[in-house]
Amino acid sequence: MKRLNSRHWIFSGLFAIVVITMAANVNLDMRVSPETERMFNYIDSLPTGATVIVSFDHEASSLPEIRPIALALLRHTFSRDLNLIGIALLAEGTGIGYRLMTQTADEYDKTYGIDYVYLGFKPQYIAAILSMGESIPDTYPEDYLGYAYRDHEMLQNIKNYNDIAGVISIADGSLTTHWIEYGASRYNVKVSAAVTAAMMTTYDPYLASGQLHAMFGGLRGAAEYEKLIGIGGSGKRSMLAQSVAHIYVVLLIIVGNIIYFRGRRKDGGSS
Amino acid sequence: MDWGVIIAGLLTLAIFSFLYRDNPAYKMAESLLIGVSIGYFLVITWTNTLMDLLFVPLTQDAKWPLIIPLALGVMMFGRFHKRTAPLSRIPIAVLIGSGAGVAIPAMLEARTLRQISATVGPLVTESGLPDISLIAVLVGVLTTLVYFYFSREHKGALGGAAKVGTYFLMSFFGTTFGYTVMSRMSTLIGRVEFLLSDFLRLTQ
Repeated sequence: MKRLNSRHWIFSGLFAIVVITMAANVNLDMRVSPETERMFNYIDSLPTGATVIVSFDHEASSLPEIRPIALALLRHTFSRDLNLIGIALLAEGTGIGYRLMTQTADEYDKTYGIDYVYLGFKPQYIAAILSMGESIPDTYPEDYLGYAYRDHEMLQNIKNYNDIAGVISIADGSLTTHWIEYGASRYNVKVSAAVTAAMMTTYDPYLASGQLHAMFGGLRGAAEYEKLIGIGGSGKRSMLAQSVAHIYVVLLIIVGNIIYFRGRRKDGGSS
Repeated sequence: MDWGVIIAGLLTLAIFSFLYRDNPAYKMAESLLIGVSIGYFLVITWTNTLMDLLFVPLTQDAKWPLIIPLALGVMMFGRFHKRTAPLSRIPIAVLIGSGAGVAIPAMLEARTLRQISATVGPLVTESGLPDISLIAVLVGVLTTLVYFYFSREHKGALGGAAKVGTYFLMSFFGTTFGYTVMSRMSTLIGRVEFLLSDFLRLTQ
């Protein structure tokens, strides 16, 4: 059997911490950040029946983090009786987006074609964003299920971004930037984002400059959003695990630095 | 019994097994992930791009101008043979030309002009107090730009400003690293939650 080295102990420790804290199933109370509150207030301020585009701009690998974010957001939009148009600008997000939308729509007894429609994937995201600015039915003559765009009651008066209250990009990469560059700058559509934690610093300047209308993200953002809408979800359940795992990483960094500086002092002494 | 959940659970465990050492179960799961991803991407591209945007409108709706992108697409395959390779330069030229034409004004507006305008706002609030966050942004932008100014040696005031710029850069890198750690932890937590609740049914 292979001898265990420090890497194995570190990963085993982290895995044990996450399993134990998740099994404990404790919901931590947390303070809601102004960014998440801004997103919540934005959705809350939209009038009943307003149409919002939800763009699933992510890959399958980020599903564990995207899922709680998307579910919290979709639950809020459906509970506010907004009409949703689902699209995907990355191929891998197509099936995930459809599943998340239908799952939450079922929770709120929403009807396909009347309360929400899923148009699916369109290749060449820049061309797709620009094309929808001119005409959404020309860009998507059919929806994800193969029904004609014109057949849906909800889409009868939706021609382009002028008929849309806003776009929410659920992203794990740089696709939201293209929504800002081509959707917001050229067509003045209000762009908001729900992103993975790793992308938060990328989009902070856009939020500060007002190019992004609102943004929240990460598992913590999902937990905060779940708190605001008053519905429990995996975001809230995961907060204890995330907090303890972060403390574990901080301790590892401190221990690593102590070992490094002690080793350096020893080397200095021997030379 | 949900076979999808069982397969997903076993594949997750197979991927996690790499943390101990490389093994056939991990290799199988990794190959399966790559194969399925490529297969899914190919099917989506075939149905949503080639069929929906090209072949169906061309053959059923007689949209003849679509012959131009079709020809450009075929020319791209010219790269596979030495004699036909020069043909591929035409679609590449069209792509670069149109891409740059679309991207340059949009990026200049969104990434440069709007960002500069957000940086140079009034430094005093309506109540007459200094706007600390905007001052910090302005100092951060200027000192970071000084750090990347290499035409003069970083000495004296220039050196001091560059030093302050490095602190802003380090703060940014630290924040980004922290968020990335948070993101990766979220991925692990998501999979553990799936294993505990859906796969093993130990928690609700």
